[in-house]
Amino acid sequence: MNDFWLALAGMAGITFSCRYFFFSKTVSFKLGPKVTRLLSYTAPSVMTAMWVPIVFLGHQESGIDFITSPFLIAGVATVIFSLLIKNTLAVVIFGMSVFALLKVFF
Amino acid sequence: MPSKTAIAGESVSSDFQTMKQAIVAIFPLSLAVVPWGVLCGSLAINVGLTPLQAQLMSLLIFAGAAQLAALTIMGAVGSLSSMFSSTFVISSRHLLYSAVFREHVRKSSFGLRCSIAFFLTDEMFAVTCAHIVKNKRFSPVYALSSGITFYVIWNISTFAGIVAGQHIPNLEHLGLEFAIAATFIAIVIPLIKNRSTLVSVVTSGLSAIILSIFMKEYALIAATFIGMICGYLTKDKESINE
Repeated sequence: MNDFWLALAGMAGITFSCRYFFFSKTVSFKLGPKVTRLLSYTAPSVMTAMWVPIVFLGHQESGIDFITSPFLIAGVATVIFSLLIKNTLAVVIFGMSVFALLKVFF
Repeated sequence: MPSKTAIAGESVSSDFQTMKQAIVAIFPLSLAVVPWGVLCGSLAINVGLTPLQAQLMSLLIFAGAAQLAALTIMGAVGSLSSMFSSTFVISSRHLLYSAVFREHVRKSSFGLRCSIAFFLTDEMFAVTCAHIVKNKRFSPVYALSSGITFYVIWNISTFAGIVAGQHIPNLEHLGLEFAIAATFIAIVIPLIKNRSTLVSVVTSGLSAIILSIFMKEYALIAATFIGMICGYLTKDKESINE
């Protein structure tokens, strides 16, 4: 990656700017209710756009069947478990364990 | 912590108490992010970064989702523009957090505002908001202590990933990326409390699958926008009548 340093500086600048933006004394406007509402969907949307391809397309790289893919089975199991249990850490550990077990046995 | 100091003062001992509360509150969330940090470190080695470069990403960018997306794009030899635009889209939720804390930090010094901004993450925002609700005031000590705790654990786990990535070849074939999926599922599913959020999650998920077949580089950004807009356009109150 030739442009690494540029990429690093750019990304660090972008993430910091987003976090600092409304702390700045020169920014005098406030977020309207419409923009606030739109931004409130960012977190669920972006995270879903990242986990769904891993769960549903994860089988492609390793050349296993869709139905027997540990990504799919463990992913669906994690979704079900997250509906039952509200503890984030417990859900993550459960999902990882199911995935690891499937990897070992299949 | 079991003992509670009832005196709300500016004394050193109450600051110390606040620090302890903050560390205890953010600790479980920091642990959940460990596999993810390991993945960031090992993936960075895998796409050809040096250990120093890999660690600097976590030290300076300090944004798990953005780092992972950027590493995926680097691995696919993507362009800087796709990397920057995905970083911006992923980080734009922090604008919202920044706007929420604005009234609390506006009168603080430049240095303090910069520090709070630098350590502002989803997890720090979540615990600090809970602390505000409970104590009816914003505590910079609480915000910074929880933020720094998270930062330290994030960087230690990145370091572990860098070491593992150098010594265990093809670590990514172990399916560590499933850790991302598990973490995001555990965060997203409890967020679905109304119809509009459900719509935004379903549409962004479906479009992520379809788009990654046609335009892998921009699939994440496009799917996120589609999810945000569909969620925004969905009316929540009417769902009660149906």
